[in-house]
Amino acid sequence: MTEPLPPADPVAASPAPPASPASPGSPAGPGEEPRRRLHPLSPLLRGAKSLVVIVAAMSWQTLGSVGLGVFALLVGVLAIGALVVFAVSWLNTGYHVVGRELRIHEGLLWRRTRAIPLERLQSVELVRPLLAQLAGLAELRLEVVGGGKTEAPLAYLSVRDATALRERLLTLARRVGAAPAGAGGEAAAAGDAAPAEAPAWQLHAVSNDDLVLSQLLTPQAMFLPFGVAFVVLQFLLEDTWSFVAIASTLTAMAGVLLQPVRRILSDWNFRAARDGDDRFRLSYGLTETRHQTVPLHRIQNVQLTSPLLWRPKKWLRLRMHIAGAASPGGNDAQRGDRLLPVGDQATARMLLWHAVPGADLAAVHTTPPPPRTRWLHPFAWRSLGAGFADQVFATRSGLLTRELTLVSYARIQSVRVVQGPLQRRLRLATVYADTAGGRSGAARDRDLDEAWRMAAELSARARQAREGLSSPHGAA
Amino acid sequence: MTAEPQPPTGPAAFAGSPAPAEAGAAPLDALEPWPDTVAWQPVSPDLVKVELIGVGTWMLMLGGAAGVAWALLGHWLLGAALALIVLWSAWRAVVAVRAVRAWGYAERDHDLLVRNGLLVRRLSIVPYARMQFVDVTAGPLERAFDLATVQLHTAAAASDARVPGLRPAEAARLRDRLTALGEDRAEGL
Repeated sequence: MTEPLPPADPVAASPAPPASPASPGSPAGPGEEPRRRLHPLSPLLRGAKSLVVIVAAMSWQTLGSVGLGVFALLVGVLAIGALVVFAVSWLNTGYHVVGRELRIHEGLLWRRTRAIPLERLQSVELVRPLLAQLAGLAELRLEVVGGGKTEAPLAYLSVRDATALRERLLTLARRVGAAPAGAGGEAAAAGDAAPAEAPAWQLHAVSNDDLVLSQLLTPQAMFLPFGVAFVVLQFLLEDTWSFVAIASTLTAMAGVLLQPVRRILSDWNFRAARDGDDRFRLSYGLTETRHQTVPLHRIQNVQLTSPLLWRPKKWLRLRMHIAGAASPGGNDAQRGDRLLPVGDQATARMLLWHAVPGADLAAVHTTPPPPRTRWLHPFAWRSLGAGFADQVFATRSGLLTRELTLVSYARIQSVRVVQGPLQRRLRLATVYADTAGGRSGAARDRDLDEAWRMAAELSARARQAREGLSSPHGAA
Repeated sequence: MTAEPQPPTGPAAFAGSPAPAEAGAAPLDALEPWPDTVAWQPVSPDLVKVELIGVGTWMLMLGGAAGVAWALLGHWLLGAALALIVLWSAWRAVVAVRAVRAWGYAERDHDLLVRNGLLVRRLSIVPYARMQFVDVTAGPLERAFDLATVQLHTAAAASDARVPGLRPAEAARLRDRLTALGEDRAEGL
């Protein structure tokens, strides 16, 4: 944790114990909760997971050249090596909750203790890959700001332990986080005496038929038959039916063309629910199920996407961005930021209402930039737009794949006006509303006077929203 | 949790219908938004010297190499390269002088404004409340001219509030003011 901001919370500041630099390998100090181990099956599971990686790294080519026996032997030796490594790391890994921190100790030679202040917790995810489902285990992932990737994955815990720990962490995080918002009394009443799951009501369930259809309506899926036909044709013409050749071609194709399938697998059975503590609970996945818990005030911005092929169905995809969650450039399937894989506008409107309280999609109006923008974007200029709505700043872009980015005023970190040399000739400027996660809302190529007004309006609204947050039951 | 506002139902217009544009205000200079309310502080003119020395160093290194090669080989292309390097350096020097004049900052009640750039003009508005940390840096050249750079960081990677060319006393004052105001209104995320 390199979080430089001091705990800005006079109520909670005192009881939080200082991050003691005591030797990480030492047993828990007096009065501290005993350190707990991960589930004993974890090394086995992680070993099995690495087996896949090993096989993939050896590649089909190696299998072809060394033969099945040697290949199996090599894989076996590597797998046993990995297993030993994981077993040693399991022996040396422990976690416990100290005050308002979760501490994770790990490492044999290079010992590391990571202390995670729970008021910094952005979201908690409970991930169960296929093997873990069979073994009744789960991985707990905590997202905090500042890490390039998910910090502190606890792999693996038994499902009961993982759920209990999640609820406990969330309760602690809630109490700390809620105090400055003036809702401390209400939250403290919940207490940490009941780590049971808070009651949640379901908001929306995505029908699997819609999901499959939506993924068939993607360019990749449309091209899949052509790809298959091409491969089959090639083999028929060249008359080389070697197993290795087919296997490698299929593997390569799977990597490129099977993104829709991966999406279907990862978004299967998508359920969005909301609990009484103002948190989203999302669960999805077929082979790897994920249960994500996101406090609503951690959502930095929401993005609506409407691909060209979905337009006849009037379908949308909703994404939310959380500070610290996996980087925007990451693998799509790995990004835990989906809010709705596919849905109609009424659903999107309803979910947005929950994600950003008071934001109504029907009330979002954007105005296009002035017509002279067409010198910069001959085709796309009509699809650009920006506008102020009740709680969010909306910006629109994209000719084929339409995107609408909604930045809540309360989450704006800074406002920028940027004017390039061409824009200067045309008296245009771009206004950015930056947030801590995801893309900035960018009102591109506005008229210069309008851009200044927009920037002034944005900073004024952002300040209002921030100050509203400090009062009880604010806009958060 | 009192009366939860009911989520709206029914389809929403994704495309967004155009709303009437506001009436245009008086035209403003691109670098002077809100001239009535904002008192822009210039950065120290000594920054020009730092920039010029930087440009000059580059010119000496590149131009020197080209000049030596020209003297030894006598090819006319090398002479042209030398002329180009000198011209380019002169252009950079002019730009540097004007860019330093374009750089400015203003402390408003709730936010820090920083503007910079000639070719690509930028204005950043960073609320004090969003401050995560403040950097004060001074390179050897800057130190020789008694200058320092203050940079305000927020949780958003895109935020960009860097003020170069401040006197150390002014840099320290700005840093202390920023941190004090930041703590006052802390609302990091």
